[in-house]
Amino acid sequence: MKKKVALLTTNFFNPKGERIITGGAERYQVDFCRLLRDMDFDVEVWQMGDNWTKEFDGIKIHGLPVNKTEYQTFPELNMGFYENVMSFDYTLYFILSLAYPLVREKSISISHGVYWDWPGFDATTGKLAIKQEWLRRMELSLAGPQKLVSVDTNTINYFNATLPSFYNKWEYIPNYVDTDLFLPLEEDLRNDKIRILFPRRMVPVRGINETMRAAEILTKKYPSIEFHFCGRGHDDTIEMLMSQWASKQERCYYYWKPFEMMPEIYQMADIVLIPSRSTEGTSLAALESMACGKPVIAGLAGGLSDLIIHGYNGYLVKPSVENLVSSIEELINDPKKRKLMGERGREIATSFNKKTWHERWANVISEVFR
Amino acid sequence: MPKLTAIMIVRNEGNRYLRRCLDSLLTFADNIIILDDASEDDTPEICLSYPRVNLYRQPHSMFLSNEAELRQKLWHYTLENKPEWILAIDADEFLEESFLKEVPYLLRQSNFKAIGFRLFDCWGNEDNFRIDGLWNPWLRGFSIYLIQYQPQLESAWPALKFHCGRLPLAYRRLIYYESATRIKHLGWANPLAITAKYERAVRQDPANKYMGREHYESILWPPEKIETERWL
Repeated sequence: MKKKVALLTTNFFNPKGERIITGGAERYQVDFCRLLRDMDFDVEVWQMGDNWTKEFDGIKIHGLPVNKTEYQTFPELNMGFYENVMSFDYTLYFILSLAYPLVREKSISISHGVYWDWPGFDATTGKLAIKQEWLRRMELSLAGPQKLVSVDTNTINYFNATLPSFYNKWEYIPNYVDTDLFLPLEEDLRNDKIRILFPRRMVPVRGINETMRAAEILTKKYPSIEFHFCGRGHDDTIEMLMSQWASKQERCYYYWKPFEMMPEIYQMADIVLIPSRSTEGTSLAALESMACGKPVIAGLAGGLSDLIIHGYNGYLVKPSVENLVSSIEELINDPKKRKLMGERGREIATSFNKKTWHERWANVISEVFR
Repeated sequence: MPKLTAIMIVRNEGNRYLRRCLDSLLTFADNIIILDDASEDDTPEICLSYPRVNLYRQPHSMFLSNEAELRQKLWHYTLENKPEWILAIDADEFLEESFLKEVPYLLRQSNFKAIGFRLFDCWGNEDNFRIDGLWNPWLRGFSIYLIQYQPQLESAWPALKFHCGRLPLAYRRLIYYESATRIKHLGWANPLAITAKYERAVRQDPANKYMGREHYESILWPPEKIETERWL
């Protein structure tokens, strides 16, 4: 009989179960569930929701009717999950803090990157006593699972410096890109326009505000450049405001595309921006841009420094308007450098290919799920 | 590439947007199933002058008396034509051109069996759409227009005489992909037709069961109260 794996996350669907939240972590979850199925496991997913069961990509997703969060942890969700998955053989916690307070014996936790570097996080847990309680709970959530997997070295370094006793539990499995799907264009079909692409969600931590300002400055200065903002907003209002803003600018465009179309979007770009200020792992968008042979201007955040070497395959900058403008300008004015950095990016991306990701995960899974 | 079938109900569209609509649909649809609701003009002849169109005709008009039954008939004719993907559209709605590039990806992907779009109501002309109150295309959400036919799903409609939706209920409950492609709706684009449309809407819904009174009244608002934005 097939062994059964239960995965706990917070929001794959919105809590009403009507809309799907399409970020990198959700794509990771779909790919990860496929990997488990390929390894002959049965997988089901739990999240917050009003007692519904939905199916996506052939995987059952259950909504547990809890919504309480305290100290940025989800104890009710954790315990609801624990009681619901007694008949499962193995468990996976899709966010580190979800493993607090209870975990099953054979379980793995995943970190998608540090999310507590976001200023709003400090604003809610800023008081010393609250912060200490949060850290105490994090320590307990690291203690339970047999393995802790991180998509970047930043998370591992943070915990080794903060809660050093888990050193031996950590595994580094960086994010991945399908290098057969995300490819440089063989023939350069682009015209003399220079396209600058921001392929992220339209949220402040991704540097959207700084990028919009940089776009206003640079499109005025250079008639040959275009800015493409490709991604969803957090809500309808943000998408409305982005559309209205873009329609008032010269050569600024706002849209999003189905995932299957993204290789083409990256291929048509000349420079890709990943100007995150925080809450970043080894960004799928950064890896996909690199795999398509594009130079990447990235923010100094999370695991982006695992992907970008400053001055080699792009730039790692503090994403202020000024820094964005000057680093973009450097690449606008130096087509040779763009090409060279893009080629190096492609080469680096090949070592993050999806096949390797499968193999590394298969190793960890076979150590714990047995 | 999977097959795409466009389906629509038409009535007296000869002087409206039918030709433009069929021209536009035929740039990406494999065939078009049309149910003519007893038109009194040359609508059926126009439909028949186009290739890849299957026309069915209704002897007596039903749209205002029993829309759900009419929709069900169209659905029945659609299934006779062995559809794969179905686009349920009206003769005054236009998917913007970028859809041509997007559609092959949407039909080939396997995660979503339904695709939703935002509808933009052009107001008084074809270049500006309305954004005040419930007319705001960004804030009223997505509607499902494109679905993959699934034999296991029920074909039932809600028992409503009108505003009953253009697809069977089961399809409207699917998890759908939200497309950035906009649908341009020209139903309010002709300023001379607005008053008549208002009167029809109010006659159909005297008790304000489907929409608040204020929304109906907003149809007749003077231009200075109406907010629009340019279609780019």
